[in-house]
Amino acid sequence: MKKKIGSALVVGAGISGIRSALDLAELGYRVILIDKAPNLGGILTQLDYQFPSDHCGMCKMLPLVERDSASQFCLRKGLFHENIDIMLSTELVGIDGEPGRFEVRLRQKPTFVDPDRCIGCGECSRVCPVEVPDEFNAGLANRKAIYLPVPHSIPNHYVVDMASCTLCGECTKVCPSGAIDLQLEIRRSFRILVVDDELIVRDSLKEWLEDEGFEVETAESGAEALDKVARHEFHLILLDVKMPGMDGIEVLQQVKEIRPELSVVMITAYATVETAVEAMKIGALDYLIKPFDPDTLIPLVVQIYQNIECAGEHRIEVGAVILSAGIDFFDPASGKNTYGYSLYPGVVTSVEFERMISSTGPSHGRLLRPCDGKELRKVAWLQCVGSRDLQANADYCSSACCMFSIKEALLAKERSNGLVDTAIFYMDMRTFGKDFQRYRDRAEKEYGVRFHRSRVHSLEPSGADGDVKISYIDTGGIKREEIFDLVVLACGQRPPTGIEALADITGVELNEWGFCKTQGFSLTRTTREGILVGGSFSGLRDISESVIQASSASLAASILIHRQGGGLAEEPGPQPLIHDVSREAPRVFVALCTCGGALPKAVDLDAVTDGLIYPGSGSEIHCIERICTREGLEELKERFEKSGANRLLIAGCLPYVYTKKIKELSEMVGLSPALMGAVDIITHTFSERNQEGRQVGQDIRAEIAMGISKLKGMDPSPTPTTRIIQKALVIGAGIAGMTAALSIANHGFEVSLVEQSEELGGNLRSLYRTIQGDSPQDLLKETVSEVEKHPNIHVYKKARVIHSQGQAGRFFTTIQKEDGVEETLAHGVTVLATGGKEAEPKEYCYGKSKAIVTQYELEKRLEDGTIDPSSLGVVVMIQCVGSREEPRNYCSRICCTSALKNALYLKERNPELNIYIFYRDIMTYGFLETYYTQARRAGVVFIHYEVNDKPRVTIENSRPLIRATDAILGRELLVRADLLALSTGIVPNDHKGLAEVFGVELNQNGFFQEAEPKWRPLDFIKEGIFMCGIAHSPRSVTESIATAEAAAQRALRILDSEQLAGGTIVAEVRHSLCSLCEQCIAACPYGARRYDEDEEKIVVDEVMCQGCGSCAAVCPNSAAVVRGYRDQQILAVIDAAVEEAS
Amino acid sequence: MNKIAKIEVKDQNIITSLQEFLRTLLTKGEIDALLVPQHLPMKNVVMPTLVTDPEKINGADPLAPAFPINAAKLVSRLTRKPLVGGLAAVLRPCEIRAFIELVKLNQGSLEEVVLVSLDCLGAYSNVNYPRFAGEDGIESTLRFYEKIMSGNGAAYEDFDLSPACKSCEYPIPENADLLVGLVGVDTKDHLMVKANTPKGEALLDKLGLAEMGEPKDRKKAIELLVRERITYRDQMFAKTTKSISDLKRLTSYLATCVNCYNCRVACPVCYCKECVFVTDVFDHEPAQYLRWAERKGIIKMPTDTVFYHITRLAHMSTSCVGCGQCSNACPNNVPVMEIFRTIGSYTQKAFNYEPGRSVDDKPPLSVFNEKEFSEVTGGKD
Repeated sequence: MKKKIGSALVVGAGISGIRSALDLAELGYRVILIDKAPNLGGILTQLDYQFPSDHCGMCKMLPLVERDSASQFCLRKGLFHENIDIMLSTELVGIDGEPGRFEVRLRQKPTFVDPDRCIGCGECSRVCPVEVPDEFNAGLANRKAIYLPVPHSIPNHYVVDMASCTLCGECTKVCPSGAIDLQLEIRRSFRILVVDDELIVRDSLKEWLEDEGFEVETAESGAEALDKVARHEFHLILLDVKMPGMDGIEVLQQVKEIRPELSVVMITAYATVETAVEAMKIGALDYLIKPFDPDTLIPLVVQIYQNIECAGEHRIEVGAVILSAGIDFFDPASGKNTYGYSLYPGVVTSVEFERMISSTGPSHGRLLRPCDGKELRKVAWLQCVGSRDLQANADYCSSACCMFSIKEALLAKERSNGLVDTAIFYMDMRTFGKDFQRYRDRAEKEYGVRFHRSRVHSLEPSGADGDVKISYIDTGGIKREEIFDLVVLACGQRPPTGIEALADITGVELNEWGFCKTQGFSLTRTTREGILVGGSFSGLRDISESVIQASSASLAASILIHRQGGGLAEEPGPQPLIHDVSREAPRVFVALCTCGGALPKAVDLDAVTDGLIYPGSGSEIHCIERICTREGLEELKERFEKSGANRLLIAGCLPYVYTKKIKELSEMVGLSPALMGAVDIITHTFSERNQEGRQVGQDIRAEIAMGISKLKGMDPSPTPTTRIIQKALVIGAGIAGMTAALSIANHGFEVSLVEQSEELGGNLRSLYRTIQGDSPQDLLKETVSEVEKHPNIHVYKKARVIHSQGQAGRFFTTIQKEDGVEETLAHGVTVLATGGKEAEPKEYCYGKSKAIVTQYELEKRLEDGTIDPSSLGVVVMIQCVGSREEPRNYCSRICCTSALKNALYLKERNPELNIYIFYRDIMTYGFLETYYTQARRAGVVFIHYEVNDKPRVTIENSRPLIRATDAILGRELLVRADLLALSTGIVPNDHKGLAEVFGVELNQNGFFQEAEPKWRPLDFIKEGIFMCGIAHSPRSVTESIATAEAAAQRALRILDSEQLAGGTIVAEVRHSLCSLCEQCIAACPYGARRYDEDEEKIVVDEVMCQGCGSCAAVCPNSAAVVRGYRDQQILAVIDAAVEEAS
Repeated sequence: MNKIAKIEVKDQNIITSLQEFLRTLLTKGEIDALLVPQHLPMKNVVMPTLVTDPEKINGADPLAPAFPINAAKLVSRLTRKPLVGGLAAVLRPCEIRAFIELVKLNQGSLEEVVLVSLDCLGAYSNVNYPRFAGEDGIESTLRFYEKIMSGNGAAYEDFDLSPACKSCEYPIPENADLLVGLVGVDTKDHLMVKANTPKGEALLDKLGLAEMGEPKDRKKAIELLVRERITYRDQMFAKTTKSISDLKRLTSYLATCVNCYNCRVACPVCYCKECVFVTDVFDHEPAQYLRWAERKGIIKMPTDTVFYHITRLAHMSTSCVGCGQCSNACPNNVPVMEIFRTIGSYTQKAFNYEPGRSVDDKPPLSVFNEKEFSEVTGGKD
């Protein structure tokens, strides 16, 4: 396992936080991953399916090299990594120090259930009398006050929601493992002073609060209060503002003088609210307005109590901080609510719909209307709810909702076998991501999802039972009405609650809409050095973009930690000594956890253990009380060492619980973790299958017998390692290639940067400004000079790759240099950054007139002065030239922004100029939307056209003449232009040769094909090779840089150690049995097997092998085997199961 | 391609005419070695021989109703690595189909060999052939041929052709490079030779035989023959399906199996160097036998017989070409061919796979389809 000096804090454990944490952990850094929720996973815990595969696939983010350091099961269920400390229900409350040496303060809220003891039996929840709406199901179902935050976590511990808990104590009574502690004792020692001149207020407050278990005293005047505060200890004062004599403000001032740390909440009538607000400025924590009821008072007091009393505060030193706190969704009930959300029962949000369609949702995936259970037959989606809406202060696009809605519509179609009619009402369908356009087309053409370009103003109920009427204007300007069973609101993003506080604590700036602000040309650098942003915290994005940005953030964090002296040096310290037991006969030590007496209560222990171990086999079975506790583990360790056994089997809770403990034990007793295992007996213990205990006893015996057989057959030889050539090869020296090279070189590794042209910079050379106003040319100069001066980067210009062989960690690539001489480079990783270019148009009379140019050409001519804006009267731009239709059926993502950039520039230089932009969908995703708004404000005219009715261009008197149909007018428009700019999109460079040399794939458009579009967006299937920049898909300079940093991050996982350990579970070949049929090579999904012609045998690359076992399944005579799953072992396990269960 | 030529039948002796044709392959066809079944001098046994001397072909008898071994395995041995020199092999259609399966599994190469084959009239079992042939050698083959061509079937005394042959719907070697046709051909006068591949045609060109057209009765005659065999086959499928329909019936079906593994040795497509059942995987601890016995108080010895057959079915039933050598090799008359063909008919249908058709059809387990068997995988269509 890798251990490097240095650590980082990741705030927010959604998909992006998990990605960043895994990235840094894989490099060997220690990571503290916190989330204020009691569970991991963020928004994705609620989403079962992701476009474009409409499956999950989160597990694909788990480490592929050094796999054994992490859990290797469903990532939605949980995560474990040796280098990651996960702290849930935890918030960042303070940060001091400098980049590279921050001291962060974390506050962890109690869950009142000891996760080490909770066995997830659910008894507590069963007896809990409270029912409140369940956040996990977006409020569509109810949960108890003691509950599982998500149903599928492993291990899954119950938590108490103190805000709704009535402290009845029923749960503590039934808990079999004594895991629940409502901390009533601590609560009783929490002393509250109620100060009010009215007796009725004092008495009722005292009664309510004492019911909640607090200790309450009262005072009827300021003087009495001060007297009590001076003599006794209090934790909280509830203080009336308006009292005769000394008023609340004065009391507050004096209290703060004697006891500055004491919390004070003001009680005020409506008339004196302003005074109360003043009071907060001089130290009051909050205020309550009279009259109030217990429902307002109690949660507030409980919250304060928890913050003060229960929350443990941790101080930790970290090198860098990554903020991945995500976003909140817009609440459609806020504001004018013209869609009647929460008023009309047939209107739901997109997340609610996601829960409706989920098999873990309230209707178990059946498409039923929540209000009346009606089977859905007609569903509409409304786009841009709370997005692209100036009135809602949302002059931005939320980027992901279009695809989200298409996916939901497709799922509805699939779930109902096409019976549900689905319609999406939208302004622009923003299918700007890789392969999104084809996904949309498939939804429309193959599945019959209807798309209506129309912004619906408001909704009306139709009838009493929940149907909803949509009135809308179609593209022809005609008013139409339709009635739907359900309307889904595609709610846009809002900054997450608490972002201001977080910004305050961390010192980062927010943008004008309240999201985290980033620096020019970076998606991840905030305004404070050392604090980076990952994922949607700087604006909503889809999974693939989040994953890229998260890795880019972790790269920046890693560079910082490296620069501050932590770096990728191995952490010193004793390596645990693991005994070699390969020459000993297997002797299993079985530790049977009696689980606080629950096991002997459920079964006859003697009957369970009798005869499980053959006498004389050297194996032993021991009952140990609560292995989950420190003492239990100590006892286990002592008894194990005394026994002299060389295998350890723990029979207790779910095996996942022991992952970390087994690693610890391994170091303590010097036995390889591969020779230790755990089996679950607790599920049987608490099953209701048979009250007599006989069947339970048999089930437990079978579990243990299987565990013993499995361990006996475990291969005791140490796990293999592979030596790594710690050098990188980057091909293509555009901004992506240069950034990737620098990112790797800045970690101290040598990089060969191969460029086929004679200059570095690629497309960046022909960019002169960005729409945000940053200078690409400055970036170019800085980056080129940094690359050329860098001692670790060797640049080969006018060079090309002619041959490559090898695999992750060991590649040998031959390049032909400028002088024709060939050189072979040895390297451990390869980054392909070979880019793309602006497509050359064939349509719209391009090439027939000087007045018809592409957007690139326009930018260049504006820069060199060959086009003078003041000499122009009419400029026309046509979008999607040759794009978003076969064969180039993808959005090039940048052309709308380029057109807007050039249009705004022209307008700025010549406000009189008339600009007409013909478009299909304007793709100004995210905060780019504001430039679309600006352009319309500046008077640029946008005219929509359909793909089957494109504008027609002719040349008359050497001027372009554009004719187009205007759907609303129903007439042909005719524009004589002085200049026609064509937005032609981006095509990839010819990557065929390179793809062949490196054995990687291209997609149907000629861009590189990633291993998995969402979870591994920059990896190839072939490990050790990565892609970045436009070679992946069209994107902006800033986005290209992010991919480059992320690709470098992926590469560094492999580069940063001299050798990598394969997994415990890897495939092997028994050569004497192998017939060389090569079926295993065909079956291997990771390309980890090949035929070695010299040796005439099949070899397995242990770094690439993921132990999936496909090879072993196709091999008829077990010449292909997987360590830990040998035939004998599995047959023995089956025998054990059959013997004990029958 | 599809050039057809004539082999003159002299003296009404079809065998000597065939021998003459084979001799031409060696003398004119740039073929250095020929794999062909011959009557061996030591006893009246027909065995594959590898002949390089054209004079040593006098016992060749590809029509003898004897099928001691599926020669696909021998061709695999000869072509596993590049071979210097031209090789031709005279095989039965089922041998060719088995060889194609082996080529897919990397156990041989079509590049290295020209495949010659005759319309197959079937064979008797290894036990029955000597009873049929006696000491008559080639004469017995002529007798067999006469009998079958005159429409009198192949039944002799108390036996008939082997069930594998009777249920074989592939008597015509359509994927041989050179096909020697008998069915629907006037074999009193001539045999037909058809080139099915460019390689076959190149060879045929060298032999200097007179060309001819497709005999007009041939198609119909083939249809008739195949229909007969399919009828037999389907009856066999129905009968076998019934007799193995549950574990109890299956166990009694296989009751006489003694784990000799002869069937696996005889099987042309069972290509493992060593069967998993003879490796350490099944080297059980002595105590394990007792534990098994303890569970029910009794176990049948040897163990793992049903397991063995099920495993072999799992591994090879998709590739089973139905040659019947398994049944031929069984000392205890377990109807192995019947169970393999029956189960194979289901597994082959499941993967839409026809073993031995073409090397371009990938073996089912080496192909990954994202969407298949959703009823099993739970995935979407």
